[in-house]
Amino acid sequence: MSDLFANYDTGPFYDEMFTDAGEPRPHYQNLFDRYARLNGMGELAQRQKTADKTFKRRGVTFTVYSDKAGTEKIFPFDLIPRIIAADEWRHLVRGLTQRMIALDQFLYDIYHDQHIVKEGIVPRELVESCAHFRRELVGVNLPLNRHVHINGTDLVRDQHGTYRVLEDNLRTPSGVSYVLENRQVMKRVFPNLLRKYGVRPVSNYPSDLLNLLTSLAPDIEEPTVVLLTPGVYNSAYFEHAFLARQMGIDIVEGNDLVVQDDKVYMKRTHGLKRVHVIYRRIDDDFLDPTVFRKDSLLGVPGLFEAYRKGNVALTNPIGTGISDDKAIYYYVPDMIRFYLQEDPVLPNVDTFLTSDSKDRAYVLENLPDLVVKSVNEAGGYGMLVGPKSTREQIEEFRAKIIAHPRNFIAQPTLGLSRCPTVCNNGKAIEGRHLDLRPYILYGDKVRIMSGGLTRVALTKGSLVVNSSQGGGSKDTWVLADTEAETPPTTETGRERIAI
Amino acid sequence: MPTSPLILDDAESAARSGMLSRVASLIYWTARQLERAENTVRLVDVNAQLVLDLEARRDADDPRAWEPLVFVTGDDEGFHKIHGDNISEETVVRYLLFDRENPSSYVSCIAAARENARCIQDQIASEMWETLNTFYHELSTHSFRTYQKQGSSDYLAQLKLRIQQLYGVAESMLPRDEGWWFYLLGRYLERADNVSRIIDIKYFMILPDLHEVGSALDIVQWASVLRSCSGFEAFRRSKRGQLNLERAVDYLLYDRAFPRSILASIISAENCLNKIAAAHGDAEQNPVLAKINQTRVHLENSDVTSVISNGLHEYLDAFQIRLGEIHAAVQDNFFDYDV
Repeated sequence: MSDLFANYDTGPFYDEMFTDAGEPRPHYQNLFDRYARLNGMGELAQRQKTADKTFKRRGVTFTVYSDKAGTEKIFPFDLIPRIIAADEWRHLVRGLTQRMIALDQFLYDIYHDQHIVKEGIVPRELVESCAHFRRELVGVNLPLNRHVHINGTDLVRDQHGTYRVLEDNLRTPSGVSYVLENRQVMKRVFPNLLRKYGVRPVSNYPSDLLNLLTSLAPDIEEPTVVLLTPGVYNSAYFEHAFLARQMGIDIVEGNDLVVQDDKVYMKRTHGLKRVHVIYRRIDDDFLDPTVFRKDSLLGVPGLFEAYRKGNVALTNPIGTGISDDKAIYYYVPDMIRFYLQEDPVLPNVDTFLTSDSKDRAYVLENLPDLVVKSVNEAGGYGMLVGPKSTREQIEEFRAKIIAHPRNFIAQPTLGLSRCPTVCNNGKAIEGRHLDLRPYILYGDKVRIMSGGLTRVALTKGSLVVNSSQGGGSKDTWVLADTEAETPPTTETGRERIAI
Repeated sequence: MPTSPLILDDAESAARSGMLSRVASLIYWTARQLERAENTVRLVDVNAQLVLDLEARRDADDPRAWEPLVFVTGDDEGFHKIHGDNISEETVVRYLLFDRENPSSYVSCIAAARENARCIQDQIASEMWETLNTFYHELSTHSFRTYQKQGSSDYLAQLKLRIQQLYGVAESMLPRDEGWWFYLLGRYLERADNVSRIIDIKYFMILPDLHEVGSALDIVQWASVLRSCSGFEAFRRSKRGQLNLERAVDYLLYDRAFPRSILASIISAENCLNKIAAAHGDAEQNPVLAKINQTRVHLENSDVTSVISNGLHEYLDAFQIRLGEIHAAVQDNFFDYDV
């Protein structure tokens, strides 16, 4: 019996590894036994060191803008994986598939006939006031008719262990490279354990992504696909380079591209070469200074027109950001019912819209107990965590909400699930809160990488898992199914509902 | 359901048009920076050994023993900005190896090469990137004290070896496509430039002691110049006989078999440009190729006796200007052309 977990306290939270009675859950039993054979915390700390060194050597880093001294940091990695049992994963796949299809149909609808608005299910003013709604795209048809290709959906588990959707990331979700690198390192540190467990591989993601990208130029035999990055100083540059390398495509900056006659070309040593598909890791706002932000140096003048004319495909398409709006998120369960006539498999986190007068009154009365989020911010910026805030901070948000009710939502503070995590420089194992970001691709059909990025809040008691706010990550193990695969219930074919 | 309006106009996409200009430029610069770093170490190494040979005549910390290294970099102004008039082994070694404010210092070259490689991780093999990245992190902890503690010769040998290791990884990992030719082009142009400066160092060394031409000291110095190009043993084997000024210069400028001679470097660079131009099918009228071709012919038609009597320093100066023009032509034609 290992003493590694002897003093482990699950607290009042759902624990990924242990039951309330302190027993390892069945799918964690192997791991528990393996760690019991480790030579105490010392050996764990030693292995942790090996892992950290590997990340640094491979340059698996992200950039912290505010930090002047060492701008390149490794994303802290925890050696205790998060394990997801096969049946749990089946449930998640069903829910995520359903959600992805509904979001795509919603975006198509919004840029075409707007049935959902006409039916009064989603308020018109909410859609039209979205910062990411692109009027320029109304009526434009996109390759495969697909309005979103990649989603990184953030999931959390509540006190009861129920998975809930915290938010969708349909613009440029990042982090998938860490999933692949984490697995590489884990293979090195615990090779036998992984084999014994029958963990599903994640390494097919780059080829799935490349297939998706090439399929966006359906009539060209060998389309030229590039990844557009803001550049080496972007916080996610490592990931951009990683994915480009894994897919064997060129990574380009705005300056490498030119538009002539509404077609996109890249500047090569012997002249210009046509580009057909762009996996852009730049937000809409910066894509084309002639249409969007005029002060942007990152984008390509004329790109929007080339896109609108169908001369180049972009992923994700322009305008998908509507669904990143946290007020629109509120309506996703309704979208699922409306477009698919199904009940949502994965519930949202309870949410109050401050643009709604009844909800707003409740929110203003209960600010100290709520989490308030700005509808368009990501990365843990622009939020109020009521129970952890001072009176001044609460009053500041109260004023902001009253002034701009459309810009916020509120949610109850969740007792996010926890998982044992190596803490205090390898001296102890304690429970830390975590979330999960699976990556969902939608080309000919929905494909979901087995697992995703598990982010963990390393600071004691913290609920904020973002890397920019001091979070770390864990390898995510989805266990192989022993039963025959059952296909997801949602029909993935492309039948638009006629109303 | 509406069909996709994606237009399929695609004849031109099939046409090969080389690699991304920015990437080619970064690969070219990475090679230049690595080559420069290597030459800087060679220079310091030879001088450190030379100083030991000279101990009887000059104190090892005699500023005059280290001053030529400052001149040879072509940036004595930069040196004085950081270290004032304090010329010593410590300040010169710090300037050439460890000063980050000196853009040509060893550490600056490695940092720049690593930054370039970071930008093109997707193009170079990950092993190359990892090797360079690991070395960079290691080097970041070094200082003049490391050099002193480990002993100059041991320490410098280690720095040289790390660069050779990078060359080895590149050699066995980089695909032989256009990127490879730009990589070699950068290396050979930088090498030609560096070797011309190393020869020039002798010019600076000799100035105060003109009367000593042909003396024992003169021979020791020429041997050290050859050594800094790893050419001493090769020179001996080339059966050129007794070491003297004319034979040493002839060897370093014009020997076709010695890979660090200036002519050999230019021939290799020309070969790279031939491959690059041929891929595009314009070897006939490529302006960069024309320029390097002229330079090679010029070298081939020079003879060492008249070069020395007309002034070696001036000859080398003019050569460096030609190199600058070739570099600018590479820039204008492949990396930074107007659209």
